[in-house]
This record gives sequence, structure tokens and C-alpha cells, in this order.
Amino acid sequence: MAPSILVGTRKGLFVLRGDEDRREWTVEEPMLSGWEVFHATEHDGTLFAAANNFVYGATVQRSTDGGKTWERSEGLGLPEETGLTLEKAWHVEPGHGDTVWLGAAPGALFRSDDRGANFEPVMSLIQHETRDRWNPGAGGMCTHSIQVHPTEPDTIYIGISAAGVFLSEDGGQTWAPKNKGTAADFSEDDRFPEVGQCVHKVLLHPDQEGRLWQQNHCGVYRTDDKGENWERLEDNGLPSSFGFPIAINHLKPDQAFVIPEDSVRGSEGEVGGGDRVTTGGRLGVYRTDDGGQSWELASNGLPDPAWVEVLREGMASDRRDPVGIYFGTKSGSIFVSPDEGGEWIEAARHLPAVLSVEVAEW
Amino acid sequence: MAVTVRVPGLLADQAGGRKEFEVEAADVRGALEALPVRDLLFDERGELRPLVNVYVDREDVRGRDGIETALSGSETIRVVAAIAGG
Repeated sequence: MAPSILVGTRKGLFVLRGDEDRREWTVEEPMLSGWEVFHATEHDGTLFAAANNFVYGATVQRSTDGGKTWERSEGLGLPEETGLTLEKAWHVEPGHGDTVWLGAAPGALFRSDDRGANFEPVMSLIQHETRDRWNPGAGGMCTHSIQVHPTEPDTIYIGISAAGVFLSEDGGQTWAPKNKGTAADFSEDDRFPEVGQCVHKVLLHPDQEGRLWQQNHCGVYRTDDKGENWERLEDNGLPSSFGFPIAINHLKPDQAFVIPEDSVRGSEGEVGGGDRVTTGGRLGVYRTDDGGQSWELASNGLPDPAWVEVLREGMASDRRDPVGIYFGTKSGSIFVSPDEGGEWIEAARHLPAVLSVEVAEW
Repeated sequence: MAVTVRVPGLLADQAGGRKEFEVEAADVRGALEALPVRDLLFDERGELRPLVNVYVDREDVRGRDGIETALSGSETIRVVAAIAGG
């Protein structure tokens, strides 16, 4: 089955269909027109979209017929006791069995046990004891990363801007901050707080137990002990501490890809996020093959010069061999590397601003 | 008697393509809550979303009793999204 790319944009959901080589792509007509699709994914034949509209609010929409018709999930809202109201739906993550998770703003998490038909707020996270020390990021306080352990359904990692990484090992009943070693360079009084870090994206490696990767506002990190300790990596060859997305290789745990923005280094006491365009006036993807101990530019085929933005949900990898890497830009292009960063192909251009990219074999 | 409620295209898409509804309601709130897209019109506190405009027989309900405006049963209600954004 040829791969498909689900592209969430400011103006709806697009699907790109590829050939087996992942080199020739066609763009289908958009679905969910009128909706900002913050994230879309596919699971067991069901499409899920975290779709927002500035008039009509935040929704999760599901389709079981390839996008011809959509149903809205129910139960999206925050209880009055929280003092919060739902702002945006950010990220849909299918779990084990019929479980589906939704990350949302402000710093919210929802769970469905009926394949997304109905959601309930996860109050243990929403009313976390550390919440008074969370900070909103520029895009709002978003729960953007949800990583479910592949064989342990009750083990879930989440990432929140700007609260940090949290781990639950009891199916979401309790959450422990896992931020030791990740910096809040913007903090005047404590650069390494328990919570409050501006995590941009967290990914769990599906096979290397305990390994996660993180692109943070303040650096790139790797942990090998389930988040107990994070190692900062951008001084090993990256041109900047700042960036949004990260992608990994399910076959090569030591391989990862980032797209740095700005030209600041936390090791020099600087805080990024001022420019938010790709570093060095080029669209530069950087790859590590040694767990982050060194990084190299892997941008053969990418535009130079270019001043481009790629958002935290805008990058993905497939489960093929060699692994394909995919990302989309706010300027409306989709780039694909069918060979782990060896070369890049522009699969589509002139789309609306890309908010998310996921790969599906569907 | 039923009132007629007309919704804009995006809401009609979310209602299976249907743009017009006949509903029984004593007030505007009741008429809107009878729609299959009520979750898109009201937030989780039951408040009308701020960028949703409602007209009864071409008159903005803000000039009357808001969505508590009573209905006699022959009105046409139009839902119009605020013109904003990009």
C-alpha cells in the first residue's frame, strides 16, 4: 500500500498520495474546509482531526469513510470547577484498543474509550499540583505531544508548552514531571525548574526502552531513562538551540532530525524565539546518527536561500525501510525524503500554511 | 408553530449539508439548542460563542433580549458568523 501524508493546514485537511518510491505525489481536494486543522492522523481506517474555528471553537472530527463524511466528538469542554474553558484542540493520539487521547489548550488532556466518539477531561492533569507554575507559550498553553508506550497501555508521556514533560504509568491517574536537565533559559531565577519548560515536541522511541527525544524552546535533548535525566545536545553541531519539530527513525534509535530556527545558543546565555525562521537563510534539516553526539546538515534538495517556518506538528516519519521523513512549511510546501535525509523532494507547494504532517499507510 | 433557522455554509456542512431547520422553541436559545450544531454555537458553559451573531426577522437579537428573546412561532432566525479573521 502506498503511503499517504495527512496535512493539517490553516484552511482544511489535505491528503497527499504517493507512489511506492515516495517520489511522486498527488494532492487531493481539501476536506474540512473552513477549519484550521491543527493535527490529523489515521488509525485502523478512521481519520481523526483536531480542527478549530475562530467562531465555532475547538472540535475533534472523525471520518470512517475516507473523509467523505465527518462526525464531531462529544464531551469537549472543561468543567466549571477548573476555571478554564477549552481554547483549541491540538493533537489526537490513538492509544491501545478503543482509547484515544486529545491534547488541548489550555494545558488540557482528554481521554476517549470509544474510539473518539466521546471524550472526558483528564482532571489529574488539568488540576495538576504544579499547574500554578505553568506558563503559556506563544501559541497558547498547548498539550501538543502525547506518546503512548507501544506495549504498555498505561504508560503515556505528554509535552506541554510551557509546563514541560510529564509521565503517567497508571493510565493517566497520576502524572510526574520529567524535566530534570531541560533548561528554561528565559527564567530569571531558576533555569532548571521542576516544571515550566517550553517543550516544543517530545517523541518516544518505539523500540529503545526509555529513550525519548525532545525539541525544546531551549535546546535539543535526549533521555535514555524515561525522562529521569535529559542530555542537552545542540552544542554538538546544531546552529541554534531553537526549533519546533523533531523526527526519529524507528529502525535506528540513534537517528533524529531537527529543523533549527533563529541563531541563538543557550550555552551562550541566549534565548531563542525572536526570529522563528530557519537558521542561516536556508531550509536546513539537521540529522544525527549517533544519538545527538554530532549533527550534520542533511538538506540535499531543500531550498537555499529560504526563510521558512516549520511548526511543531509539521514533521513526521514513516515505518518503512529506509525510513521516510516528511515535513511541511508555513509557506505551504511539503518536503519528503525517501532515504532518511539523503535527498529531499518537494511533494507539494502552494498549500495553505501547514500546521501538521502525519504519515499513514491508508 | 415552528420557527425557521438558517445557518451558514460551514455549519450546514457540519449538519450533513442542511442549511435550514424548522424547530419548535419558545425563545431564540431554545431554537439554537434544537440544532444538531448546537455544540458549535454554545461553549461548555452554555454561553453563545462571542463571534456568533443571531438575527430574528433581520433584527440583531442584541437589540432585544439576546438569545432569551421570546418567539411567537413564525419567525426566521439567521445565524451569521462575525466577519473577522484571515
